Amino acid sequence: MTSVEEAEPSGFQRVVLTNASPYQYLKIRLVLEDERSRLSDVELKSFIIAGLKSLHGEVGAALNFDVLKYDEESLTALLRVYSRGLVKLWSSLTLQGFYQNQACAFRVLQVSRFTGISSLEEPLIYLLFHVTQKKRISHFPHYCHPLP
Amino acid sequence: MSVFMDLNLLFSEDRTRLQNLVETAAHLGFSTVAVNYVFEPSAKKKQEVPAPRPINELIGQLPVVQGRSRPIRVLNRLTVVMSDASHFRPNAPEYRRFDLLAVQPTTEKLFHAACMLHDVDIICISVTEKLPFFFKRAPINGAIDRGVVFEISYAAAIRDATMRRYTIANAVCLMESCKGKNVILASAAEKALELRGPYDIINLGQLFGLSDSDSKESVSSTCRGVLLHAETRKTASGVVFTMKIQQEALQDSADSEAPAAKRAKAT
Repeated sequence: MTSVEEAEPSGFQRVVLTNASPYQYLKIRLVLEDERSRLSDVELKSFIIAGLKSLHGEVGAALNFDVLKYDEESLTALLRVYSRGLVKLWSSLTLQGFYQNQACAFRVLQVSRFTGISSLEEPLIYLLFHVTQKKRISHFPHYCHPLP
Repeated sequence: MSVFMDLNLLFSEDRTRLQNLVETAAHLGFSTVAVNYVFEPSAKKKQEVPAPRPINELIGQLPVVQGRSRPIRVLNRLTVVMSDASHFRPNAPEYRRFDLLAVQPTTEKLFHAACMLHDVDIICISVTEKLPFFFKRAPINGAIDRGVVFEISYAAAIRDATMRRYTIANAVCLMESCKGKNVILASAAEKALELRGPYDIINLGQLFGLSDSDSKESVSSTCRGVLLHAETRKTASGVVFTMKIQQEALQDSADSEAPAAKRAKAT
């Protein structure tokens, strides 16, 4: 029987995660009133921390998150945060309205448990993930955004 | 699943600004928005209720909603800021030209009246000041039974840190009484950069003390409920409605336009 398996190698790879991924990834874009102004990665992170601190105080400022990728041209960044800090980080991004006295807005493009996966694939993987975990699937994650 | 709506975009005379607002809302994924005309009667002089501008005149080509290949729906809405009981006139013909009718009561008595008596769709909760009164269970339960919803707007929270405090405090105070039912979250944005995406607002709702699902409903299905409630206001409980088919009918007094169920009973 082993020879049969060798003769037909499977065409896909099945990835099974045995425990929940501890992180959530956010893809964000900063929209500024003056479209020419640019921020460096350090400025972006300190701006986000300032937002966290103004909304959630010192406890919020102590929240661990990382800027994994940052594209200065398009002001797009990929953030990684522990799942329990997601609501805090996201709400502070939402309520961030001014950067150095000019109006700004964070547009959250995509929120995911996985990086590098398009939002179309995500429900499938979510399904697979929960089936393998033998959990009851109550609803699909409401946070998978299509990219504009 | 219901579509997302933002039932409060502040009207401004500046056409390009309003266009920009609607375009951004469509881009963020809102399928329906309402242009809000705020009417604040003062005690001194009599003011005219603003008349809604035709939507096609205001915006022109409607932008396509992102993720759905159909144009955005734009409605008219009137918000009456009440500081006196006489400010809201039930069955006023001016109100009938708007798709949605909202009131913003400033005292407890008016809040009670708005919840229990007035024929409105939305009751706005003030977010720019500390609440001048406590929310009592009885009027709130009455409003929920009647299908009137409470609105919390978040643009003030983006503009200013003090307002943010009041917004969160008032919202949490409301949630204690209504337990997350019949609440909508809207923007009240003046500029496009004050708008946030629907998922951002859902996340923000959790900060206001809404549960995960209530928060999602507050931008989708509750808003749909508001639109349906507005239909019943215009028609006789949404079952029968009258419309003019001939030009001659224009001479009829405004009173006869009201559906029979809503007309004041002749005594």
